[in-house]
Amino acid sequence: MQHKTISELHEMLASKDITPVELVEESLNLAKKYEFLNCFNFINEEKALTQAKNATFDPNNPLSCIPVAHKDLFCTENIQTTCSSKILEGFKPPYSATVVENLENAGCIAIAKTNMDEFAMGSSNETSYFGKVHNPWLKDHVPGGSSGGAAASVASGVVPFATGTDTGGSIRQPAALCNLTGLKPTYGRISRWGMIAFASSLDQAGPLAHNAKDCAIALDAMTGHDQKDTTSLAMEATKTVDSIDDFSNTKTLGVVKEFSGQLSTEMENAFQESIKTYQNLGYKIKEISLPNIKYSVPTYYVIAPAECSSNLSRFDGVRFGHRSEEVKNLEELYIKSRSEGFGNEVKRRILIGTYVLSAGYYDAYYKKAQQVRRLITEDFKNAFQECDLILTPTSPGTTFAFDSKGSKDPTELYLEDLFTIAANLAGIPAISIPQTFVNNLPTGHQLIAPHLNEELILQTAHHFQQDTDWHLKSPSMEDFS
Amino acid sequence: MDKETVRTICYLSRLSLDEDKAKNIEGDLDVILSMIDELQEIDTSNIEPMFSPLEQTAMVHNDEIFSDNKKEAYLSQAPDADTDFFKVPKVVE
Repeated sequence: MQHKTISELHEMLASKDITPVELVEESLNLAKKYEFLNCFNFINEEKALTQAKNATFDPNNPLSCIPVAHKDLFCTENIQTTCSSKILEGFKPPYSATVVENLENAGCIAIAKTNMDEFAMGSSNETSYFGKVHNPWLKDHVPGGSSGGAAASVASGVVPFATGTDTGGSIRQPAALCNLTGLKPTYGRISRWGMIAFASSLDQAGPLAHNAKDCAIALDAMTGHDQKDTTSLAMEATKTVDSIDDFSNTKTLGVVKEFSGQLSTEMENAFQESIKTYQNLGYKIKEISLPNIKYSVPTYYVIAPAECSSNLSRFDGVRFGHRSEEVKNLEELYIKSRSEGFGNEVKRRILIGTYVLSAGYYDAYYKKAQQVRRLITEDFKNAFQECDLILTPTSPGTTFAFDSKGSKDPTELYLEDLFTIAANLAGIPAISIPQTFVNNLPTGHQLIAPHLNEELILQTAHHFQQDTDWHLKSPSMEDFS
Repeated sequence: MDKETVRTICYLSRLSLDEDKAKNIEGDLDVILSMIDELQEIDTSNIEPMFSPLEQTAMVHNDEIFSDNKKEAYLSQAPDADTDFFKVPKVVE
């Protein structure tokens, strides 16, 4: 089953080439075989096998008996959920996230919780308390982040798809670095209930899979209104897979003027190859302008830390998670528990967030950033008058070596999200899909759509994948032994 | 960012930093702040802040009473608790 898509596994199950138990057993065996990648914080062997044994395959349901891995910030009832942080080590939530329940109701069998940057703060999966994750394409290189474990678990073929979350690029950038298709839906499409919050106005869950069709299958099962999340859109679940083969409308793709000259020659050539492919498929390419896009990274690094400093105040050592042992009073209990429990990047962001929200600085930083956010959102609205989708690179480069970025200057790593952050600020959907390799390593490009246009994104990505085979390539992992 | 400001922000965040880390973090915060200072060059007068990307008002649900008492489950996750309460060091002398 290794490297098979959801649709292929569905066919195998339907034709009885494989039973649900055999499928889950193989997935679990692969998880153990590739333990050295460090994709998983926890493998859910017993429950997954029991579920597989009790499962009845439903031929009308594309996710019936399909193995999945959940990013370790989705609460899973009675199964440890850590956000890859010491402060939540051993925490077993009393309930499951809506995403987890929706996929379970769709027939999925969750086999593991995936490693991630601590509290999803990072673009390389290097801030995890449980250690770095290797990119299956190259040892000692990052899978991207923060959904790095999720990306590595699909790229290594352990599971056909995984859940991730995307606050500034955390699904799309690892998808690009690991040769996957990763979708960040419209803000509010997927319930955030039970998804441990980093930046509430930016966080959105989504799937990482081998291709656009699998993303559509997963999205349709993950979406739908949830009364438990007040930011959940009052809309039915999507039905994107039904229309995925509809390529009838010729679309105009906007290429962002302000992004030109941002890439190395090799990365630019790979991106230009994608543009050519779209042109050959009949798409029109038009230069568009997003005048305020260069402010998206600084805007994000005000808003995200501000929201994180507020969200992470709940981790105080009182009700759950790590508590410092030797404390004299309650104040010390808070301070010591938090100081021992959080890693450096999380502390940095809490401090920045506290600073920008503090008296005297609120208007200069926080309010200002929210105003710029509106300007960036208006830029997108104007651009979509001229094009149907916006086409950009996903990340500035391919995977990079462990410890090679951000150790001296933290903002160096923040620029990984240069092309992805703006979609989170505006709350609009975006996908990353594999394109031409650079130095034998995966790269990706991004399609961004207006609000609620996941269907068009998925059709266009699927169209591209009918004409290219980059998404079919899988890593050998020979260098790891 | 001077030492005193870092100390105040740390206290407001209920975080403590040892000497070495405090120095590194002071430097990091300066770099991050100079990056976000770029925002000051944009004219945002008369621009409404956009606190949420949602373009529609959140749904309200019916005010129905229901009982979902998971007291034991929640208390079981606490570092210290008795049968009814979370336990913390004494706060009243």
